[in-house]
Amino acid sequence: MPRLNKRASYLTLLLPAFIIYMAIIIFPILMSFGLSFTEWRRFQMTGFNGLDNYREILSDPVFRRSLWNNTQIMLISVFGQIPLGIVLAYLLHRKWVKGTKFFEFMIFLPITISSVVIALLWNRVFSPVGIDTTFVRMATGNPDYVVKIFENEQFAMIPILGVLLWQHTSLYMVIFLANLQRIPNSVFEAAVIDGAKESTIIFKIVLPALSSVIFTTSVLAISGSLKSFDLVYAMTGGGPVNYTYVMALYLYQHTFTFHNYGKGSAVSIIIVLLSVGLISLVRGIYGKAQKKFE
Amino acid sequence: MNERTKTISKGWTIASYVFLILFTIITILPVVWMIYSSFKPMGEIMLHPLRLPAAPTMENYQKAFKYGNLVTSFLNSVFYAGIATVSTVLLALAAGFSLTKFGYRSSKFYFGGFTLGLLITVNSVITPLFIMETNVGLYNTRLGVILPYIAFGLPMAILLSTSYVRGIPDALIEAAVIDGASYVQIFWKIILIVSTPVIATMSILNFLNNWNEFLMVFTLTSGEDMRSLPVAINSFAGRLNEDYGLQFAALVVGTIPMFILYLVAHESVIKGFGEGALKE
Repeated sequence: MPRLNKRASYLTLLLPAFIIYMAIIIFPILMSFGLSFTEWRRFQMTGFNGLDNYREILSDPVFRRSLWNNTQIMLISVFGQIPLGIVLAYLLHRKWVKGTKFFEFMIFLPITISSVVIALLWNRVFSPVGIDTTFVRMATGNPDYVVKIFENEQFAMIPILGVLLWQHTSLYMVIFLANLQRIPNSVFEAAVIDGAKESTIIFKIVLPALSSVIFTTSVLAISGSLKSFDLVYAMTGGGPVNYTYVMALYLYQHTFTFHNYGKGSAVSIIIVLLSVGLISLVRGIYGKAQKKFE
Repeated sequence: MNERTKTISKGWTIASYVFLILFTIITILPVVWMIYSSFKPMGEIMLHPLRLPAAPTMENYQKAFKYGNLVTSFLNSVFYAGIATVSTVLLALAAGFSLTKFGYRSSKFYFGGFTLGLLITVNSVITPLFIMETNVGLYNTRLGVILPYIAFGLPMAILLSTSYVRGIPDALIEAAVIDGASYVQIFWKIILIVSTPVIATMSILNFLNNWNEFLMVFTLTSGEDMRSLPVAINSFAGRLNEDYGLQFAALVVGTIPMFILYLVAHESVIKGFGEGALKE
């Protein structure tokens, strides 16, 4: 087979994917970077303004609130969804209960529902005709009870955080379950025969075996929580006032409502930098933890 | 392997049952409630929120289909998700083949480039993408939705396809080369055939992601006839809508197609998500 032909085939197979990828993901990222230093008025770029966009964004209380709300989402993802996912996966894996397949099937079902539907459904659950309201009314005997948590500045994020926990925990469960199944069953059996306590099995066998997956899922959770948009947009639209604003919503507002593409791009770049920074941090922590255990 | 560990204490077993049953109820209850509520007239929803429908009615669905343009949106969703998924899978498999079986040094560079994309989210490119599409006339077109769908599907799909194709024996390909087959023929006649398992995984993950995608269709199209199901549901049955029955019906319509997919292929869906995320 002539060399030239091989090279041509290589490129024929590779380039269509690579070109689409470059044009739609890599090029816009670079363009975003450039745009983030520009000023826009009435759909027109009016020139460069250095770091002004960044300065304005970082000093905007709405952005700061968004950043804090994203942080809360990240915390519930990393310290809520992941541990709960591990617990569920572990319970299913050890098969102490019957019907593990059934539980897995049911718990994973929400993964098929779009965030928009989930958001609107939970709004109904919390609404005056919802499950939550009705239960509380029955339990407290107060027929006029309504959910007010959305209106409270301090607690407005709580329903969103709860729904995120409801929506994504099963994803982590499935990932951890797939990895637990890679641990040979004989390891568990030997430990049980040796009379190892359950806590020993969990801390000495299971968690070390899962450590690299915990790292990967943390990366997944962090980048996922920085991008959250659909659920928040459909559930609260950032309101009341701007109590539930998140960075992606802030970006959306500047690009698509105000048509300030410079500012919108600057928000994108901030999100990218945060994501890269946090992931490097997690990678660092993971590396250190690994060294310690070896 | 599937035998239960017998030495476990009763306490643990009961605790596990309680925890799992509770979690399952919390997961399923809102969904079940949504489905049966969609068959109740507005007045009944207001008066008895939790009761099963006294006289099930299709009225909500009739209204939803009449006002919501749901048929068009459903077809759009099928079109967007379908075309994008088939394209992503073919492109990713071709790239996976070229990156693992040709032995060029540049493969590493290309592969690294693709994996970088795993960390890039839609909202970090949406502003320039909008400007680009407006300038080249792709804004508010179906192609303008499908191309970004393909691009964002590629990184994960290429990760899956390379690790699968790498495991296909070289001898299989060498034999075909000796027989005089071209590489492109080898791709269509051999790689594509023996890669069925990974094609299934890639297709399911991709289709589900595309089907539920919201932001891109929402920002890159404006016409009502371009909307996908999530966008249509949000705009006519969104949080400001006060007709609960209609809203429930719309939500059910948005959910049922993927429920059916899940019912039929849940093993592959669960396996796909479980394995899709492991690959580093």
